[in-house]
Amino acid sequence: MLGGFFENLYLKVFVNIIVGNSKSTVYIELCKEERVLNSDQEVFATTTINAEMQEFIYSYINETPYYYISVLDTSETQGAVSSCEKSQLASFFEVASSKYICNDKKWTYYTSKTELALLKNSYAKVGVDFIFSPFILLSDFFKDKIAMHAAMFVLIQEDSLSLCVFDNSELLFAKHLSMENYSEGDILSMDEGDDIELDLTQDEELAEIEDLDEIESLDDFGDIEDLDSIDEIDEFSESKDLEEELSENSEESFPQQESEGFNEDYQRFLLIHGAISGFYKDKRYKSAFIETAYIADSVGVSGDLKRYLEEEMFLSTYIRHVDLTTELCEIAKREIG
Amino acid sequence: MQYSYTTPRRKSPITPELQLLFIFFGITIFMLLATYAFLLFKDYQFTQNTLEIEQERYDLNISLHEMDDAIVFIQKQSQLSESVYTKNTVLKDSIANMFDLVPSEITLSEASLLENGLVLKGITPNKDVYNFMLQAPLRSIFHRSYSSFYPLSNGWLRFVSTNYIDKEELDTVEEEVDEDEN
Repeated sequence: MLGGFFENLYLKVFVNIIVGNSKSTVYIELCKEERVLNSDQEVFATTTINAEMQEFIYSYINETPYYYISVLDTSETQGAVSSCEKSQLASFFEVASSKYICNDKKWTYYTSKTELALLKNSYAKVGVDFIFSPFILLSDFFKDKIAMHAAMFVLIQEDSLSLCVFDNSELLFAKHLSMENYSEGDILSMDEGDDIELDLTQDEELAEIEDLDEIESLDDFGDIEDLDSIDEIDEFSESKDLEEELSENSEESFPQQESEGFNEDYQRFLLIHGAISGFYKDKRYKSAFIETAYIADSVGVSGDLKRYLEEEMFLSTYIRHVDLTTELCEIAKREIG
Repeated sequence: MQYSYTTPRRKSPITPELQLLFIFFGITIFMLLATYAFLLFKDYQFTQNTLEIEQERYDLNISLHEMDDAIVFIQKQSQLSESVYTKNTVLKDSIANMFDLVPSEITLSEASLLENGLVLKGITPNKDVYNFMLQAPLRSIFHRSYSSFYPLSNGWLRFVSTNYIDKEELDTVEEEVDEDEN
């Protein structure tokens, strides 16, 4: 009771740190009860913490004992799985060495305990109160779409992608993809791997291919021209999210990367393509056909990524700009209630 | 619902600055209270001392009165003893004088001292000896003097002399004596 009284007397300061490739963005929000009194944002040329950043943070947190420092988990070994059952979790990640949280009794997100300790240690000078998974941020950002659509959701950060596939609030697949360990060689090897896997499946089915001739139902393929007359095909081509398109058009003022964007967007596309291929092929995941992709863009991707996804993967793609710092701040506020 | 992998650090409203402030005010309030308590104690002690001194003074007053009374009593006793002593001395002198008055021819057999008189019994060879040698001095001392005689077988006479001093006249004489002494 006394604590609550003091809490109302003081300001609450939310410090939100987003780490990029070679810089960190610090967003600070000063709140009194529910009102936001002031906010400030600075970018620092470090991926951990330097003296300037420390001084900037201290200049705000010295005003009140009620300050909360939040960071987004950057661990490469993080992910999410579609179950909260401990027995099933073990088939996706090493439970003993991971910290995991069940979200809404539907799906679980996890990360490495070692990486968490390293992250905490790197911010030891100011301390860390909250470490949030990008998956929880993504699901929160697209909560209106997740509940109603079967689609792929991607959170694009400078150096990583967090990809989820939801089917009406049910998580089917999730993967965190880092761009730092990625090179063109990886792209090639990944493609080759896919081919080999495909060949293997083809070899296994070659023996059975002769029997296919005996299947009467295959005769129906002779009527393939009739497909154009099926109404459902028209509906498929019109399955667009009008609301999202409108909001996408209104966001056009957001600056998009032009020079380096092409290469990075292609890398991102390849990562998404690889991950989705893995999703379709891995029998651990419940399969579903993805028609739509919702992208939360925090870096300002070029239109190329959308084009690749639409042309190469036949996905209806919607890009929505996300301000990671403010989203992180909102989750931190919700966390403390 | 918990979203974060970590739980937030415990937030205490007591910042180091507040701690310093609380310590400062704490010490100040403690010193003020200590001073207040000391003054209260001293005030209580002073009141107690005042009461004790009042009681002592009251007791001393009582004992002073008792001593005054005792002094008055002792003075009275002293006066009384002096007066008794004086009276006894006077009486002794009177008796000595009285026995000096008795001539050798007369033998006293009994002398009784009354409050305002003297009764003498004895034997005398004759009335003349008694009248001239004893009656005359007794008459000069006492206001009233009565004598009676009884003859004895050997020819002598037994006498009984009763002498009185009138008190009123004695008082008048004493007053005159006092006035003369003053």
